[in-house]
Amino acid sequence: MRQWLLLLLLIFCWMAAGFAFFDGAETRESAGAALPKDVQRIVSLAPNLTEILFALGLDEQIAGVTIFSDYPPAAMKKRKIGSFWQPNIEAVIAAKPDLVVTLEFPQQKEAARRLRRLGCNCLTVNIEKVGDLFEAIDRIAEATGKDAEAAELASNLRSRLDVLSASAAKYERAKVLWVIAREPLRVAGRDTFVNELIELAGGENAIGRTVHKYPPIGSEQVIASAPDVIIEPAMGSKTVSEQQKEALRYWSRFKNVPAVANGRIYVISPDTVCRLGPRLHQGVETVARCLRPQLFAD
Amino acid sequence: MTEILTPNKLIVRIAWALLLLLAVMFVCSLIGTERISLKAVFAGDEAGSAVNPDYEIFVRVRIPRIVLGAIVGAALACSGVVFQALLRNPLADPYILGISSGAGLGAMIAVLVGLNSAVFGRSPIAVFAFAGAMGTVWLVWFIGRLTGKFHLTGLLLAGVVVNAFFSAVIMFLTSVARSDEVYGTMFWLMGNMAEEDFLVVWTAGGCVAAGIAALFYLGPQLNALSFGEDDARSIGVNTGRTRTTAFAIAAFMTAIAVSISGLVGFVGLIVPHAVRLVLGPDHRQLLPLSAIFGAIFLVAADTLARIVVAPAQLPVGVVTAIAGGPFFLLLLVRYSKKVGWSK
Repeated sequence: MRQWLLLLLLIFCWMAAGFAFFDGAETRESAGAALPKDVQRIVSLAPNLTEILFALGLDEQIAGVTIFSDYPPAAMKKRKIGSFWQPNIEAVIAAKPDLVVTLEFPQQKEAARRLRRLGCNCLTVNIEKVGDLFEAIDRIAEATGKDAEAAELASNLRSRLDVLSASAAKYERAKVLWVIAREPLRVAGRDTFVNELIELAGGENAIGRTVHKYPPIGSEQVIASAPDVIIEPAMGSKTVSEQQKEALRYWSRFKNVPAVANGRIYVISPDTVCRLGPRLHQGVETVARCLRPQLFAD
Repeated sequence: MTEILTPNKLIVRIAWALLLLLAVMFVCSLIGTERISLKAVFAGDEAGSAVNPDYEIFVRVRIPRIVLGAIVGAALACSGVVFQALLRNPLADPYILGISSGAGLGAMIAVLVGLNSAVFGRSPIAVFAFAGAMGTVWLVWFIGRLTGKFHLTGLLLAGVVVNAFFSAVIMFLTSVARSDEVYGTMFWLMGNMAEEDFLVVWTAGGCVAAGIAALFYLGPQLNALSFGEDDARSIGVNTGRTRTTAFAIAAFMTAIAVSISGLVGFVGLIVPHAVRLVLGPDHRQLLPLSAIFGAIFLVAADTLARIVVAPAQLPVGVVTAIAGGPFFLLLLVRYSKKVGWSK
């Protein structure tokens, strides 16, 4: 019994010593954020954030991007600091950033927490919907002193979107089934940015309100939703034409669905439609092309 | 094996193993995706004008991560030894009684609820995982007790079923979760190391070291228990108390390991068996040496995880399984004759 008490006492002392030594002394978060004019080295932890930084004219200041940041082409030449899901903290610090921009995903927030602890200045923005995009552009611009550029970028983007939706308003809204994965079948629901993309392009989501953001659905719902158009962003390493063939084969089992009957199944390149960034208008246009191919025939 | 374990032999072996551990930790601290120079590290925190990235990376990222890897590896290997002895089952590992799924469920709930505040510098995921692990162990222990006092089959079955049930709940939560945020916890379920505050390293290290010391003290009783309940009692071991104490300490150590690194598989299963195959089954030796070799194994595996797919990183659980499996099979084939299984 005596030994156990001694051991407990030892642990207690050890803990107390730990708290006395390390608690509080550890946090360096209080170190003030760099002023916008001093931000010289920026690291981006997501491809769409990289695109925003480039669009704001921060080419020179970008010191690190994730492996999948492939647009604009200049981004591929920047130092790689890990992936969106698994950022490499060592690589981020080695890039000596005075600003790290992250999204509000749990993994990214955790990375931001770890970086703040090490004295890095982090900006966490939420980009889930189109509205968030404009807000995020403003916040990033504020932190980097690019307000004028941000205003121009935003108004440019808004006017392009307005043109697209004005041209869409003249036509009847087609019902769109947006396929995320085919086996098992998973589609985009209402509470997503894809839904906004479809509506901006002048379509309507074939799927109604669902519990999930990206609900898994069965054959029954495919038939019941009766989509006029089926859109699949290409996934993985397959080329668009390969996946187009597979898609036609897969959907041929639903012969009575209008989209299948009329051969309106489109596989599109995922770049602009899966990434909510400054190329949003291109994404909307890609979708609009699928909805009204006759307009874009030339 | 006819070899007899003497105190001298034990001390020499532990000393060699510790030396090896220190050497491995030192070498691993020099390996990483970023090239750093020790000279720049010794220049200190704020060398010259700006922050010194070499120092930051070495002292605040690599060292804590490597030490944490050693702590987790030691804790898992050591509790693996205890679970194998107590359950008298070679398939037992630290997760066999539902700790993994309990911790996983805790982590997932923390993500779903969207908690943000940290407790003692730990993220809510770690706190919930710890609570989930301890809660599940208690539940399994309680159910096991209902089936009879220290009835091993009852305890094992309770563990397996609770594990399966909580895994099902995790899958249910994953499939009804509104957004894809829960996919982040997949990385957690695969085991993942990260650097933490020195305070976390200090407290976790203290708890695990104390646990190993306590278990070492129970070594002779564990030896007696592995011959069977009745034999142990006949030579004067208080089997009930030994079991409860060893079980509680092992579960506590596993919960700490899980709250630091998620579910790192394989360490708790193969390291004890490897040490047992090569050096013999005496718990006075098995416990400290398993702890040290577990630490070495996880530190090495985590270093691989850091650099193999650079600049990204692998979950360390993937590396332990891929690298550990073939290595263990090699040992199994080479030493099983020597141990005398083939008679």
